[in-house]
Amino acid sequence: MKDKIEKILSEAKERITGALAESELQKVRSEIVGKQGTLSLLLKELPTVEVSLRPEMGKILNQAKNKVTELIEEKRMELKLKASEVSPDFDCSVPGVMPRNGGLHPITQMCYDLNDAFRSMGFEVFQEDDITSELYAFDKLNFPDNHPARESMDTYWLEGHDSGSTNEKLCLRPHLTGGSVRYMQTHKPPYRFVYPGRVYRNETTDAHHERAFFQYEALIVDKDITFTSGKVLIKSILSKVFGTDVPVRMRSGFFPFVEPGFEIDMQCQVCGGKGCSVCKHVGWIEVMPGGSPHPNVLRAAGLDPDEYTGFYVNIGLDRLVMMRYGVDDVRLFHSADLRFLSQFR
Amino acid sequence: MKLSLSWIKDYVALPDDTDLKKLAYDLTMDTVEVEDVEYIGERFENMLVGVIKEVNPHPDADKLRVCIVDIGDGEDKTIVCGGINLAVGMRVAVSVPGAVVRWHGEGEPVVIKKSKLRGVESYGMICASSEIGLGDLFPAAEEAEILDLSAFDVPAGTPIAKALGLDDVLLEIDNKSMTNRPDLWGHYGIAREIAALYKLPLKKFEPAAIDVASDFNVEIIDTERCPRYIGVEMSGVEVKPSPFEIQSRIWRVGMRPINALVDITNYVMLATGNPTHAFDADIIKDHIRVRRADKNEKLLLLNGKELELCEDDLVIADGEGAVALAGVMGGAKDSILPDTKRVILEVANFESTGIRRTALRYDNRTEASSRYEKAVDPERCDQALALSLEYFKEFYPELKITGYCDKYVKKLKRAEIDVDLKWLAKRLGKDLTNDEIRSKLEILGFDVDIKGDNMHVIAPTWRSTGDISIKDDVMEEVARMYGYDNFEATSFNTSFEGIINQKDIALVRNIKEYLAIRCGLQEVYTYPWMNDVFVNAVLQDTKGVLKLSTPPAPDLSFLRSSLLPNLCEAVVKNERYFGEFSIFEEAQVFFDEDYTSPYDASESLPKQRRHIAAAFASAGKSLSELFREVKGTLEYMPRFTHMEGFNFRKETKPVWADNVVWQNIYVGDVKVGDMGLLDKKVSMDCGIKNLSVMLFEIDTTLLKPLISRTNKFTHLAEYPETDYDISMLFDSSVTWEEIREVIVKKESGIIKNAGFVDEYRGRQIPAGKKSVTIRLTIGSKEKTLTSEEIEKAAGSVMKQLEKRLGAELRAQ
Repeated sequence: MKDKIEKILSEAKERITGALAESELQKVRSEIVGKQGTLSLLLKELPTVEVSLRPEMGKILNQAKNKVTELIEEKRMELKLKASEVSPDFDCSVPGVMPRNGGLHPITQMCYDLNDAFRSMGFEVFQEDDITSELYAFDKLNFPDNHPARESMDTYWLEGHDSGSTNEKLCLRPHLTGGSVRYMQTHKPPYRFVYPGRVYRNETTDAHHERAFFQYEALIVDKDITFTSGKVLIKSILSKVFGTDVPVRMRSGFFPFVEPGFEIDMQCQVCGGKGCSVCKHVGWIEVMPGGSPHPNVLRAAGLDPDEYTGFYVNIGLDRLVMMRYGVDDVRLFHSADLRFLSQFR
Repeated sequence: MKLSLSWIKDYVALPDDTDLKKLAYDLTMDTVEVEDVEYIGERFENMLVGVIKEVNPHPDADKLRVCIVDIGDGEDKTIVCGGINLAVGMRVAVSVPGAVVRWHGEGEPVVIKKSKLRGVESYGMICASSEIGLGDLFPAAEEAEILDLSAFDVPAGTPIAKALGLDDVLLEIDNKSMTNRPDLWGHYGIAREIAALYKLPLKKFEPAAIDVASDFNVEIIDTERCPRYIGVEMSGVEVKPSPFEIQSRIWRVGMRPINALVDITNYVMLATGNPTHAFDADIIKDHIRVRRADKNEKLLLLNGKELELCEDDLVIADGEGAVALAGVMGGAKDSILPDTKRVILEVANFESTGIRRTALRYDNRTEASSRYEKAVDPERCDQALALSLEYFKEFYPELKITGYCDKYVKKLKRAEIDVDLKWLAKRLGKDLTNDEIRSKLEILGFDVDIKGDNMHVIAPTWRSTGDISIKDDVMEEVARMYGYDNFEATSFNTSFEGIINQKDIALVRNIKEYLAIRCGLQEVYTYPWMNDVFVNAVLQDTKGVLKLSTPPAPDLSFLRSSLLPNLCEAVVKNERYFGEFSIFEEAQVFFDEDYTSPYDASESLPKQRRHIAAAFASAGKSLSELFREVKGTLEYMPRFTHMEGFNFRKETKPVWADNVVWQNIYVGDVKVGDMGLLDKKVSMDCGIKNLSVMLFEIDTTLLKPLISRTNKFTHLAEYPETDYDISMLFDSSVTWEEIREVIVKKESGIIKNAGFVDEYRGRQIPAGKKSVTIRLTIGSKEKTLTSEEIEKAAGSVMKQLEKRLGAELRAQ
């Protein structure tokens, strides 16, 4: 009988260890320790055992029964912990649910990235009001009275403030640079600041022309600055926007408020400089004006141009963002169209 | 401006093997932007001179002819053509397969193929001038007239470009890039620049030597506005076509050849940049006067425009009255007529700004005025005169100069500038030797005298009309001749005096990022002007609102004093596509009040603020849900953006808000904005269809950023705190604020907080009542509370609510 018990026990152990599901354990339980189980049946055979051996056999039998029950319980717990809480046909391939999704305007995003880059170089961020006077929009920037730009910029003048002397005439700023003079007037040199903001031109709009657009101006003014320092500003802006070093070139250009003045071109990022329709087959795209502030502008800001000089660049963020993402209609930026805006992360 | 390379080569000995790409690049980098380089010959590919050998009728069409044409390849071609002037022996332009033409000079370009015309095989096309882009050079009297090239003595098969001498190259220059360089507005000017860049010899014009005794006189009355006037009276001229090469050059750079007399004046202007003019001398009564116009003086222009002049206009007049608008356009009366036999040639210089004013006043800008308004130097008259006379003599061998007068009343003074060489070296960031600097300037025509550290520079006449006036201009000349690209980028010194701490700017960014990233709002941009529809609907009053005098459209004249009208417009636009969305904008607003002079005492600027506003639009959410979403966005904003917190009051209802659902937003005791539900009528007036819209608007300039990342630490509770929910019935009018106040006042030290869980009206709740569920946080600093103690504390809260607010325990 002892051998039989041993045999049943080892068989049971084997089955329990190998069990993969609770149902198997249930089967083991009923076949071995259930009412008709092999061990229970052996218990019934106990009276046939020799009397002197009965207590020992009884003890062994009970121990075996307990052992099997214990093993089953252990295994049951093990299987339970291993099992998933859901059925195996749970579909992991269904798409997720999007968290509530908002975002900054793509131009704001670019502007903040640039602010971060410039602040890491010790630049302040400057902000100025949209309405300005002709005095700051043109006079202080060395535009002569009769300069064509005063007309060609086609400025938005304010009703009731559209005549009189230049300090009396008010307009929506046609560019940021007048505001830079305000900064210089109220701060002590040296200057290192960036100045993002919206500017306004009275134009007919189409896919490439807007009445309101975003400019980003950067200015350094200090003693002993060479105009070639400007290359650093330009490279900072473009490498931040495009994520790689973009080849740039500076060439002769004329703007009343700078001397010398430059047109700054970047290598066309569509064709990599080989020439394509975007860059009109020259490989370069004009992206911003730049130059050293004209002595008259520095004077207007209360500085001695013999002592101070600097470098200025002003870049149109709309155009840069368009180039970066391949946006083909500048009017989308002011459309407040969520189908457009929600594309930008 | 278009420039012909072969014309430029008249003045500078540019080698034939010049790399044009490099030339365009060098000019672009150092002088002016070359936008395009065009090989004119490419327009005439697959176009040959053909000689007509037979003209036969077409079997099937009356208007067509079947021509046999020799195009030089030894095999006569059959070409069907509808020309009216076809003749045997005529030289014609034949477009062979592959050529690009425009039918009758109009429409899209078409590629020529072999084809059948009414059953007859045709090899190519015998062209009219307009069909191959030569309409201006060879004007046809009638549309069906074929271009007759018999005057060009070339064999059949000669390419058209070669036959007509059109194998030239055009440089297209961006006019904007040379507004400040009046010296460059002509072929000679660009040639001079190329000569300097490439160190090549430049042709010099010998001043014309005129020796004639006559009483021909010119009187300059306004010497400020006319520094110089040369008049040359000539006889022995007539109206006839100018030589083909002259016509061709004028045509190549974009003007139309007219007749020899007019062509000479245009040619000289295109060559030297100095406009010239020719009058019919027999029309001029008495002598020429250069004077201001009389008030209301009438002048009929060459283009038929009748002007009523003002005293600011400068005119050329004779004894009877104005005959031309000086520097702008000739008059109808004195123009070259078909029978003109004697002319007066005008080579003059006019002051730039006056010309510009006049041209703009009458919206009559011309090739001449656009050059004069850039400030041409009066010395250039000599070149223009020399060149003019050269061509007059060449075209009219019979020419006789009968009168000559050069009044040079205001001599040009060459600009003189002293430059400190140490300053120059500092600004260039490069030490150039004196010889290098000298050679770069001298090649541009400057006189240079260096003594010690001082360089005395005298600018050439053609750069002395304002272009070069300060030492920075001289520096620019040195730098560009050295080549901007040859300067390495130099870093600038950065001295860090202290940290940059711009709290106000950082706060606005934090708020925008909070709204966009935390709260799921999308930022939008709109214009600073508002549409009248939304002004009327949302603001309802335009008092204190600024207006544009030249608005983008008549109904877009008001400048925003609030961001809400444009946000409502954005809601309308997006309602088509979305049933639920929330948007915000941060921008400047303007008020016609509180004018200040923050920078310049003479200036007076209106009140300008920066606002941030949001619209939460939903078609599905309940109003209370939407309201709590907006309020939560505001309540938690200070926590995420490090500013002083808001409190909400009900003081003044915003005009756009629903009568019940609105709050004023305060920081401390300062009102910073409003929030609320867009009123149903306002919403309808805006054109919003199904969406409920909750709005807020805050003046960000009134917000108070915390001085740093300000936080308060409290010790962690030593003994456990328990949340205990109670639900009670209140009168519907009792506010949460009142309930909370009662509980907080009752605070015995163990009621730590009272939180709002929800409120419920409706089934099972008696009318006029609401059930409010309150979450009490209960705990002690001294010990763990027993459940009896907790229930006792909650019970006493309930009693207080019963006593103070008439609350009842809700029947379970």
